[in-house]
Amino acid sequence: MKLNYRYTIAYAVITFFVLSIGFAIVYAALSRSVTQTTIGKLRHLNEVVAAQLRSGRDYSRHPSRAHVQVQQVEGLTPANRGDQVQVRDEWDSTLQSMVTAVRLTTYPVVRGQYYIVTSKAVVVEPSDVYLTGLVLVFAWTFVFLLALVVILSEVISWRILKPFNAILRGIQRFQLGQPTTLRLEPSRTAEFNVLSDFLVTMTTRAQSDYQGLKEFSENASHELQTPIASIKAKIELLIDSDLSEKQLLMLTAMHDELERLAKINQSLTLLAKLEHFEMHPATLTDLSTLVSATEAAFADLAEMKGLRTVQHITPGVQVPLDAALAQLLLNNLLSNAIRHNLPNGEVRILLSTSALLIENTGNAPSTPVNELFGRFKKGNAALDSIGIGLAIVKRICELYGHQIEYTYADGWHRMRVVFAPVSA
Amino acid sequence: MKILLVEDHPELAKSIASYLTQERYICEVASTFDEAREKLILFTYDCVLLDIMLPDGNGINLLKLLRKDGIESSVIIISAQNALDFKLTGLSEGADDYITKPFPLPELHARIKAIMRRRSPHKNNVLTFLDLTADLESMECRVNGKLLHLTRKETNLLLYFINNKGRMLTRQAIAAHLWGDYTDNLDSVDFVYQHVKNLRKKITDAGGKDYISTVYGLGYKLNAGEE
Repeated sequence: MKLNYRYTIAYAVITFFVLSIGFAIVYAALSRSVTQTTIGKLRHLNEVVAAQLRSGRDYSRHPSRAHVQVQQVEGLTPANRGDQVQVRDEWDSTLQSMVTAVRLTTYPVVRGQYYIVTSKAVVVEPSDVYLTGLVLVFAWTFVFLLALVVILSEVISWRILKPFNAILRGIQRFQLGQPTTLRLEPSRTAEFNVLSDFLVTMTTRAQSDYQGLKEFSENASHELQTPIASIKAKIELLIDSDLSEKQLLMLTAMHDELERLAKINQSLTLLAKLEHFEMHPATLTDLSTLVSATEAAFADLAEMKGLRTVQHITPGVQVPLDAALAQLLLNNLLSNAIRHNLPNGEVRILLSTSALLIENTGNAPSTPVNELFGRFKKGNAALDSIGIGLAIVKRICELYGHQIEYTYADGWHRMRVVFAPVSA
Repeated sequence: MKILLVEDHPELAKSIASYLTQERYICEVASTFDEAREKLILFTYDCVLLDIMLPDGNGINLLKLLRKDGIESSVIIISAQNALDFKLTGLSEGADDYITKPFPLPELHARIKAIMRRRSPHKNNVLTFLDLTADLESMECRVNGKLLHLTRKETNLLLYFINNKGRMLTRQAIAAHLWGDYTDNLDSVDFVYQHVKNLRKKITDAGGKDYISTVYGLGYKLNAGEE
C-alpha cells in the first residue's frame, strides 16, 4: 500500500471520530439550549403572573394564564423556597402525541401571601426533528473532507515525496558493476538528505569493494597464466632432450596437470569476465550459419565416437548474442553433447526461430541436472572435464535473457535454449 | 630469420628463445617496452612476438607505434588474455596473429612459419620431409609422388609434423593445433590418437614409410629414425 494511502486512511478514521464527537456535542448543546430557552420564557411568564398577582386584579381569564397554575399557600416548606424546573415526557392531549413538557415552579410572595406559580410549555426535542438534519450535515462534511484529503494527499505527497521517489528510482537503476557512482539530487527535506547521503556512501563503498574483488580475481587468474606458460615451455624443452622412459612419463604427467590447471584458470577468468561483460542487446548473430559451422567443426569428433548427428536448422535465425559468445556457447553445448554421449549414440540439433534444442543420448546423470549449471559440478566424475562449461553457458544465456533448461528423460539429455524476444 | 621476443617474464623468455634458437631462428629478447622500442628502431626483424602486459607499458601501444612508424615486421601477440578477449575487444587489431598463454612451443613455431609463408607467398610453397611432400597452395600431400587422400585435419596434422620434424609433440599440443579454440574439451586428446592412426595408415597404404613414431604413448614424433 502506498504511503499516502495509509496516511489518507488514518486521516479518514481520525476525521470520522472527531466528527462523531463533534456531532454528539452539537446535539447535546442544541438540545440543552432549547430547554434553557423554554425555561427562560417560562421564568418571564412566571414573573408576569407574579406582577399580575401583585396588581390585585383578576387576570384568570387572561391568555397568559392558559398554561399557568396559581396556588395560594399558607407557608413555605424549606423544599419550596427555590425555583423548580421539571422536564418530563408526557402525553399531550392537545397535540395528540408524546411531547417533552417543561414545568417551572416559582414561589412569589405578594403582600405577605405565599403563592406557588407553575407554568408549563411543550418543547420540541431535537431528537425528533433536528437529528436527521444534523446527521446529514455531518455526513456531508465527512464526505467532503475525505474527498479533499484524498485529492490533496495525492498532490501533496507527490510534491513532498518527489525526492524520495527519485531516490527509489536511483537505487533501482543502480548496478554494482556500473562505472559511475550513484547520484542523487539533494532535496529540501532533511530526512531524505540523510537517506540519500547514506545510500551514496554505502553504494560507493560497495562499488569500490566490488571493484577490488573483481580486479583481484581477474589479475590473479591472469597473472597465473605467465608462470604456467613458463613451466610448460620448460617441460616441453625437457621432453625433447634425451630422457629415460620413466622421466618422460613423469614429465608428461606434470605437463598434463599443468594443462589442466591452465584450463581451469582460463575458464575461471572467462567466467569472471562474463560476470562483468557489458552486453549490447542490439547485436544480433545469425545462429543458423553458426550452428552449421560449429556442427561441421565437431563432425570429426562425433564421427570418431561413432555418433549419428541429426540437424534441423531453420535458416536465417537472428538472435541477440555476441558472435564470439554465441560461438563459445555452441562449442560448450556441442562438445558436451558429444563427450557425454554413448558409443554409437545420437546427437540431435534443432534450431527454430524461438529456440535451440540440443539432444544427446547418454547415461542418466548421477546428480540432479539443474545442479550441473554450478561450477565444478560434474555429471560423470570419470570423464576428464573440469565442469565449468555449463556455468559459462548459463552465464551467457543470462546475459542476454535467454532461458536455458536442461532435462533428462528416457536416456536423452535435452538442452533447450529459449531465445529472448528480439527487442526493437 | 630474425625474431624479437618482447616478454617481461625472464624464464619464459629464456625458454621461448632457446626453443626458437633450436629451430634456427635468430632470437633477441626485450623485456621492457622501452627496450623493445629501441630495438625496433635500430634493427629490423622479420617477426615480433609481443607480450601485452609489460612493466612499463602496454604491448598494444607498442604495436600501434610500430605500425605508425611504418615498420613492416609481422607481429604475433603473446598474451595471458584468452581468445575471447581478443574477439570481444578487437585486441589483436594490427597484429598478424595472437596466441594465448600457456601455449605449446611447437604451436608458436607453426604460427611463425605460417605467417612467414604468408608474407612471402612466392617462396618455396612445398614442404618436404624425406619422401613426404606437402604443397601449401593446393594443400595436396604426396608420398613418393603419390597423392594422399587426406581430410583437412589430417593435412593440417601432417603439416604440423613436418614443421616440427624431429620434435616430440605432445597430444595436447596436437589437439590445441587441430581444434584451436574449439578445444576446451580435454578429452579431445583421445581423438588425436585416432587422427594420427588414420594419417599413419594412409601414408603406409600409399606405400610410404611410417616416419611417425609414438613416444611411450605420450606423444608423437616425426623422424627419419630406422625403428
